[in-house]
Amino acid sequence: METGPGPTAAPEHEVRQPDRGEVSRNGEAPGAHRGAYLGFVAHEVRNPLSTALWSAELLARMPATERGGARGEKLSAMCLRSLARVRQLVEDHFLCERLDVAGLPFRPEPLDVRELLEAIVARRPPGSPTIELRIAGLVAVEADRILLERTLDALASLAGREGAPVIVDAATEEAVVRVTFSGHPGTWELLEDPRKGSPGEPRGRALAGPLARRATAALRGALRVEEGAFVLALPAPAYTPRAP
Amino acid sequence: MTARHLVLVVDDDPDILDAICDILLAEGYRVVPARNGLEALERVRAEWPALILLDLMMPVMDGLSFAHALREGYGNHRIPIVVISADGNPARAASIGAQGYLAKPFDIDTLLVQIASMTAGESPAAPA
Repeated sequence: METGPGPTAAPEHEVRQPDRGEVSRNGEAPGAHRGAYLGFVAHEVRNPLSTALWSAELLARMPATERGGARGEKLSAMCLRSLARVRQLVEDHFLCERLDVAGLPFRPEPLDVRELLEAIVARRPPGSPTIELRIAGLVAVEADRILLERTLDALASLAGREGAPVIVDAATEEAVVRVTFSGHPGTWELLEDPRKGSPGEPRGRALAGPLARRATAALRGALRVEEGAFVLALPAPAYTPRAP
Repeated sequence: MTARHLVLVVDDDPDILDAICDILLAEGYRVVPARNGLEALERVRAEWPALILLDLMMPVMDGLSFAHALREGYGNHRIPIVVISADGNPARAASIGAQGYLAKPFDIDTLLVQIASMTAGESPAAPA
């Protein structure tokens, strides 16, 4: 399956964003899909918000002399981890919302895909799944830097579910740049909007799939799931930027 | 003897599980954690807790299925259930016959007051 207009031929199964208030194909009331999606987002935010509040309160109740002990360190780490989850979810949610309403100004520029991926690898928190880059030569695209970074990061997170090591291949084939993320077997459902009723995602990346799908469309690219790998296809630039 | 009551905490989020267990242990409760409904059923069989704090949305077996299995398996030997959920829908807790509902993020003191009131007295007897 594929989303977005993409640089390739029209996909066999194209997925588009439903308009707000649109009646879904299975007869849901107007707004039901959107309501369920927002309910899911609220659910995902409340869990890490809970642990952030509780751990901070427990630390505050703890005698100052004990905060440096094992329990204090555990609670401090929990608080920071929970706040990082909240931040990730909030950032992903509002980026999805702004993409939905075409409310983001884009600044396309020539970009080196390897450079972006190396920056993503360098920013991964400790304990994240390993990411191996397999990029032969210069692979360049013309895109908005922040949006492409967020897309690549989201796809790397999806491929790294359950702690799976991730392999990223990138290459230019004819006029198309293909970036393939292999790791934990992916499915198209991971890219669709989650529904209320889904269990939580402990790393705060519950919206990685919806974000990747929306951002890919905004980048005029295409997203496929091929043999369990996420394949991002972007138009190659008309000219090649200078190698760094 | 509140401090001796055993509380089963069921949640798929490892930090939620860890935090609630930490809160209860600090108050002197004994706790047993479970990451989904299936694990919780095993803990009930083995430990027969005085109270169950139950999340609803979980993989493997969700909270609603767990509550139904508990009712089918043990009939009148009811263990009080307090639903702890981020879904903001207390009607779902009522639908499974839960005695309490706390919407995440709830206050620590609210949790402790709820647990103290529901575990006052002797622990429920385990089925023979």
